[in-house]
Amino acid sequence: MRKRKYTIPTYFAFAWLGLAVFLAIFGSFLPVDGYQVIHGDFIDSPPLTPGHWFGVDSNGYDIFSGIINGARLSVFIAIVSVGLGGAIGALLGITAAYYRGRYDSFINSTFNVVLSVPNLVLALALVAVLATNVDINEAVPTWRRLVTLIISLTVVIIPILGRIARAATLAWSGREFVVAARSMGMRDRDIIKRHIVPNVLPALIAVGFLAVGVVIIAEASLSLLGVGIPDGASWGGMLARGRNDLEYNPHALYIPIIALAFTVISTNHVGDVLRGGLDRREGRL
Amino acid sequence: MTTMMSISDMYVRFETPFGLLEAVRGVNLEIPAGASVGIVGESGSGKTVMSRAAMGLLSGSNVRREGKVVFNGRELTAMSKEEVRNQFGTGMAMIFQDPMTALNPVRRVGTQISESLRVRLGMDKKQAMQRSAELLSLVRIPDPEAMLRKFPYQLSGGMRQRVMIAIAISCNPELLFADEPTTALDVTVQAQILQLLSDLRRDLKMSMVLVTHDLGVVANHTDFVAVMYAGEIVEQASTTELFANMKMPYTRALLESIPNIEMKSGARLKVIEGRLPNPVDRPKGCGFVTRCTYAQQKCHDEHPPLVDAGNGHLYRCWYPLGHTIARKQ
Repeated sequence: MRKRKYTIPTYFAFAWLGLAVFLAIFGSFLPVDGYQVIHGDFIDSPPLTPGHWFGVDSNGYDIFSGIINGARLSVFIAIVSVGLGGAIGALLGITAAYYRGRYDSFINSTFNVVLSVPNLVLALALVAVLATNVDINEAVPTWRRLVTLIISLTVVIIPILGRIARAATLAWSGREFVVAARSMGMRDRDIIKRHIVPNVLPALIAVGFLAVGVVIIAEASLSLLGVGIPDGASWGGMLARGRNDLEYNPHALYIPIIALAFTVISTNHVGDVLRGGLDRREGRL
Repeated sequence: MTTMMSISDMYVRFETPFGLLEAVRGVNLEIPAGASVGIVGESGSGKTVMSRAAMGLLSGSNVRREGKVVFNGRELTAMSKEEVRNQFGTGMAMIFQDPMTALNPVRRVGTQISESLRVRLGMDKKQAMQRSAELLSLVRIPDPEAMLRKFPYQLSGGMRQRVMIAIAISCNPELLFADEPTTALDVTVQAQILQLLSDLRRDLKMSMVLVTHDLGVVANHTDFVAVMYAGEIVEQASTTELFANMKMPYTRALLESIPNIEMKSGARLKVIEGRLPNPVDRPKGCGFVTRCTYAQQKCHDEHPPLVDAGNGHLYRCWYPLGHTIARKQ
């Protein structure tokens, strides 16, 4: 088999995503201060200050620590929502395309309706409904905010990946090997598991990377609007906290923005590369 | 001789945006136990649809199937889906035309052969792999152990078709449908595969339905032949009787369009001019009328019935070959 050649941006994208995942998993074990330690003497220090290489924001929080801690939340939320949304979407999409009929029409039109609502509006509406208390004076606990956020983003992802799964299944389930498997007495369940899923999975993984980018942006936007995880813990939260100090402390904004941008560009790029690889393989068959 | 499968009054219709497409129109066919029956016809004559409908493999909301199929004394068409599924693999199996598309490109040969053994015969993984290797040597694949680990794209067309055959015979079916098993292969491999099928049929005591467009294949590998045209059986007889005493101008034309090694080099191959009638809007007379050298006015006006020449030789023609009027004009 011919070996695929990657370009420098691809290596960079993989390296960046690897770093982000590494920080998400091991960030809290690194020898850096907690993100909520206040460095009173360094408030508003610019980047490259010794000891605070990314600078310090107006609250005295070290931005480097913030980025490392934010990676944990942003990446964790993205991976969980895409994983969950992908699994549910794939289940619905694959069964819809395999069994067709009314069930398919129902699933497909539901996907379309959900897709017609802008991602952010949908997530915002879900968060607003799910993460409010009857008693307005009682604060919503952080864990409930987190769960709500993940559920909302999952709902955003389900139709995106579900449609991909449905389209891929439509293409594969018409193939002769599905009829061949049926002619040997295989059950539908086994055919889906053994013949459809292995063929649909690569496309789903490729689009899944794109979806991770979508979720990271959506989460950051929600945090910016103030309905994300409180205390400005995620990258989006850092933006929300820093936006009032834009004039005299711009790095508190642009450093998390760069982190977000690199991550989203990297996921998009990796998704594209994987998809390109799939097209080539399809052509060779 | 007992009957393995009998098909009676089978109609298959597809609902299309252009109208109801009648792919199979009133086919009656008996497959005697242990025999090999050839179904011959050009592309679009309904032979593939007929064999798939007989097995109950056609699916889709736009398919309408009518008629009765009796398999091994039990009526397939009256069975539940689950009961029909239980007949697949162990009772009847099918070999498909294009072994590339009929094998899953992302799964290893060994997994694909062993899955029906595991699901249908309840073997464990090790047993199934061992049996798969035996099956591969049965279809004369050298070094079967190595073959188990390969992916379909690593194999040649002939090897893929052998793998397909190994899958089809894995659960010892009593009736094997071979749907143009050699069309996608080159000529030397064709001969090997057909010989293999004939040998397997004899050794495993299977009945076989061989679907093909090649009368030459039928002559060597079948006991009975049914010629299909435009969704109908137009001639049916034992193979020896058919070739000795051909009745249908269409069968003759099919035979003449096979290239012959004794033809002068550069000589034009004889073809059947024209094409099949529109399957959505069938003409009222004989379906072959526009392409037939012997066509008369009656052929345009009236649909010929299937008649018996007396010795089980059925044909559907107003002026069969050997008939005096046909000869004169």
